Amino acid sequence: MFLAPFKHHRPTELSAVFEALAKYGDEAAVYAGGTELLLALKARVLRYEHLIDLKRVRELAGIKVDGEELVIGALATHHEIANSAVVKQHVPAYAALSEGIANIRVRSAGTLAGNLSFSEPHSDPPSLLAAMGASVTLVSPQARRSVPAAEFIVGEFTTVRNEDELIAEIRIPLTRAGEGYRYLKFGHLERPAVGASAGCIIRGGHTRYRLWLGALGDHPIHAAEVEDAIAGVPVALLPDVLPKLAVSFASKISATSDLHGSADYKQHLASVLMQRALAAACAAASGERVSHA
Amino acid sequence: MSDRLSPPNPDHLEKVTGRTQFITDIEVPGMLHGKVLRSTVPHAMIKSIDVSAALAIPGVVAVLTGADIVGLNHHWGPSLKDRPLIAIDRVRYVGEPVAMVAAENERIAEEALDAIVVDYELLPFVTEAAEALEPGAPLVHGNHEAIKDFYFKGEAKPVAGTNIFQRYAYEQGDVEKAFAESDRCFESKYEFPMVFHYAMEPHCVIASFHGDSLTLWSCGQSPTAVQKVLSRVFDMPLARIRIISPHIGGGFGGKASVKIDPLVAALAWKLRRPVRVCLSISESMLTARRLSATVHVRTGVRNDGTILAKSVRVLMNGGAYADTGPAVAVKAANRAIGPYRIPNLSLESVAVYTNTVPGAAFRSIGGPQAVWATESQMDEIAEALGLNPAEFRNRNLLRRGEHVRADLRPIDVEMGEAMDIAAQEMSRIKALDGDNITYDGTALGISDPGIMPVASVVMRLKIDGSVAVISNSVEIGQGVRGVLRKLASEQLNQPIEAIEVLTPDTAIAPYDWGTGASRSSLMMGLAIEDAARDILSQVAEIAELVFSADPAAVRFCEGGIIFGNEKKTFSELLHTYYGIDSGEIVGVGRVTPYSNGGRLAQAPLFWETAAGQCAIAVDEETGEIKVRHYVSVADVGRVVNRAAAEGQDEGASMMAFGHTLSEELVYQDGQPINATMIDYHVPTIDKAPENFVTVLIESGTGPGPGGMRGMGEGAILPVAPAIANALAAGYGARIRELPLTPERVWRAIREKRGS
Ligand SMILES: Cc1cc2nc3c(=O)[nH]c(=O)nc-3n(C[C@H](O)[C@H](O)[C@H](O)COP(=O)(O)OP(=O)(O)OC[C@H]3O[C@@H](n4cnc5c(N)ncnc54)[C@H](O)[C@@H]3O)c2cc1C
Repeated sequence: MFLAPFKHHRPTELSAVFEALAKYGDEAAVYAGGTELLLALKARVLRYEHLIDLKRVRELAGIKVDGEELVIGALATHHEIANSAVVKQHVPAYAALSEGIANIRVRSAGTLAGNLSFSEPHSDPPSLLAAMGASVTLVSPQARRSVPAAEFIVGEFTTVRNEDELIAEIRIPLTRAGEGYRYLKFGHLERPAVGASAGCIIRGGHTRYRLWLGALGDHPIHAAEVEDAIAGVPVALLPDVLPKLAVSFASKISATSDLHGSADYKQHLASVLMQRALAAACAAASGERVSHA
Repeated sequence: MSDRLSPPNPDHLEKVTGRTQFITDIEVPGMLHGKVLRSTVPHAMIKSIDVSAALAIPGVVAVLTGADIVGLNHHWGPSLKDRPLIAIDRVRYVGEPVAMVAAENERIAEEALDAIVVDYELLPFVTEAAEALEPGAPLVHGNHEAIKDFYFKGEAKPVAGTNIFQRYAYEQGDVEKAFAESDRCFESKYEFPMVFHYAMEPHCVIASFHGDSLTLWSCGQSPTAVQKVLSRVFDMPLARIRIISPHIGGGFGGKASVKIDPLVAALAWKLRRPVRVCLSISESMLTARRLSATVHVRTGVRNDGTILAKSVRVLMNGGAYADTGPAVAVKAANRAIGPYRIPNLSLESVAVYTNTVPGAAFRSIGGPQAVWATESQMDEIAEALGLNPAEFRNRNLLRRGEHVRADLRPIDVEMGEAMDIAAQEMSRIKALDGDNITYDGTALGISDPGIMPVASVVMRLKIDGSVAVISNSVEIGQGVRGVLRKLASEQLNQPIEAIEVLTPDTAIAPYDWGTGASRSSLMMGLAIEDAARDILSQVAEIAELVFSADPAAVRFCEGGIIFGNEKKTFSELLHTYYGIDSGEIVGVGRVTPYSNGGRLAQAPLFWETAAGQCAIAVDEETGEIKVRHYVSVADVGRVVNRAAAEGQDEGASMMAFGHTLSEELVYQDGQPINATMIDYHVPTIDKAPENFVTVLIESGTGPGPGGMRGMGEGAILPVAPAIANALAAGYGARIRELPLTPERVWRAIREKRGS
């Protein structure tokens, strides 16, 4: 199907983007890779008179380390992230996740910011970003604010971003020695049915864990109850307590039956993936070399 | 260069450099662009269609609706005349063409679709075959004319007042008596899903009326069938209808017989201007799909593993129009027999209309559905009898020359040999791989392809020794042009560079039944053999006349002929004969049921067979099946082009991974809910087995030149049952419903563990 006619804008500065957005209001949308937006426009589920291409806005580009955080600019594609030496070195688990998104065509055009803004539930990044304590930086003509990734997505295709705001960057705390993260997903269709993200943080003999689930709800789900129950449990003893907790938590998640699978199967996958992801995160934290492939 | 490195196929370079011309690349002067408005409801009467707003859009030239076609012979079909050119008063499935816009460009045409308002009066609908059979089910059709021998031999047998459009039965021996005498009877039901052909190129046609002639650039696999249907619809002589078949981007049956050609031609007829219609993949998904099937199999055996009787009942969901479904139903029954000695056999097949996408021929028509059921059951029986599955099969295998069915050609291959080779190859792969964690499964498939021994070719030998091969065999990616080139080169004993295979064009190419059913290389091969004989007899006659040669001694040699110890170039021969240094010899090759002493008349022309063995590992917690190794073995008689032949075999197997593991067109409330490229999941290259071996046996026993038989479909047969058999053998989980999604596998394993 074809795109309905629209006017194309190619600003090179953020201020010009905001001007265009202010001028055209509801009739305008920004885009980066266009992998989501253009499909929606072609399917005629969305329609805009004005499309604003962000790709030339230099302020949104780049991947760098800033203090204790990795900063991923809004224009960074999944492919760039997956192959960036800085990302691989400082947040290897996130680089690995990026390499597993969709297919090479989508990865080389699609951006992380576009993925988060669109907030299609069957996505990979949100749960791991939440588990890693990442944040999303939003800018408007007036202000700049930071929102924890864990709170950014509130529902299907809905985020806390205001109409006049753009994602400027995503900030991920650098993974330090004694920490490990891992994202695992499963599905037999194009996009994941269920994803699980786990973290293991070993500090001075005390171990804490992070556990989030993705794709099966309309926003990332925090397995807080499991995290609390296993806080302080040494890695070696996890297998004694985790399975029961994971199964019990998963069985309470409200999942829906659809093409990806029945609700109870998805709950089961959630418990399996939580356990596997946590085991892998622990291995990474204790410095074991694990392949992220 | 080795055979593998230099496929005699000049198309490949063109394709990989993006220069090949497909229909979508063709520009006809004055051409408009058409787009199709499709029904959004499964079953309804059309109360009104308002096209005024669409016509008012600048750039829109015309809108075609059912009201326009009343003066034409507006219903057509390859077996049953059940399909209107475009919906007239009623729609029967979501996706059925309701109106068509022609505009200056595709964008305007698409915009205009949004402006058309259709008012429907909804009717009750049915999407499941079993429900369509129930008394009181909504009837999808009234009565339609069955047209005998129109495209397939024979005719469909619809049952008035029901949704049944085809019924077929075959009986040999006394099945009930044999069941009573059997030590054990096994009875199960197997489900095969609706799957989409997914050719890379969606359907695309350009139609142009000029004067009292019609030219079509068609993506159809059967140009002469398209020509014939159009001739009936528009009441035009065949000779005034020209079908050109450029490179086609895959078909797999989704473009066999006739598909969107009459629809596009109707628009061109209204416009009196050329018009191009190129569907999207999603629209192609709403055009044709494989018939889904429920297959009941009952088998009676002795405790020693001897099969005494088998009864197979196939119920097929044929969708809103019969299309090629009547033939699929017959084949599904026949292909359920397998390569086994079954003294008492009962086959029955029923195909029904439903309010879904029309079912159609699809690679090894009816075969995968049938073989899925019967080869799954073979392993179930072996297990129950405590026999090794290969041993159980071996006990009942037909040897070459034995009859599959009394009225069909005896089997012409050794299936035991193929099964043994598959097992040996698998052991070799596993040993090399150090693999001791996977489980194996095996299945055998045989099919009766190569339908209709009716084909012809024209070969024009030019004075310079170059040869034009002119046929209606469509190059659909299978490499047929390369094969014909090589066969012509062999038969005329001329270098391959001297042979040119032309684009099929019914204006110049002689009649052929069509490209499908694994028949083109074989059938055109036979025709080429005949045409070469024709050319030889003509040059021999001329050589006698002008050089007093003994005509019986004349042979082809490179660039000319040889007789005794004399050698003449074609130029010397024809120059002397015609008196000028110009001219050609036209050879005609024909294949008919009377050819080769009548040996081609018996069905099938040959048996297309495959033995498949897989090795799988299952993640028991997620239910994911990983096929680590796959071996596919087939006796193809003779390999003409190794790279292309192996490619066909691997392609057919990989295609089967789709219906085995993930593919299924899903209906909910009458709507196909996953008919898009994102939601309908075909296997990607990362799902290919780590080790994939194709063994092509060259027994030289086929009916074609050099003992070749056809190929390209057989390998699709064993995959699903082989994988299900491995799953049962390794994990105790027997699943009788495809696809084997991770969820189904997980549930089956869990149930097994629970019990
Ligand atoms: C075939 C396919 C398979 C896929 N599979 C997966 C998968 O397996 N896992 C997964 O996680 N994802 C998957 N995706 C989604 C993919 O990750 C996203 O399409 C991609 O990341 C979107 O980025 P984009 O730059 O192309 O977004 P665009 O299409 O350009 O934009 C998407 C939305 O975000 C908005 N937007 C873009 N940039 C900004 C910004 N800086 N600030 C505010 N709003 C912005 C746009 O207005 C638009 O609404 C798949 C997509 C496709 C098409």
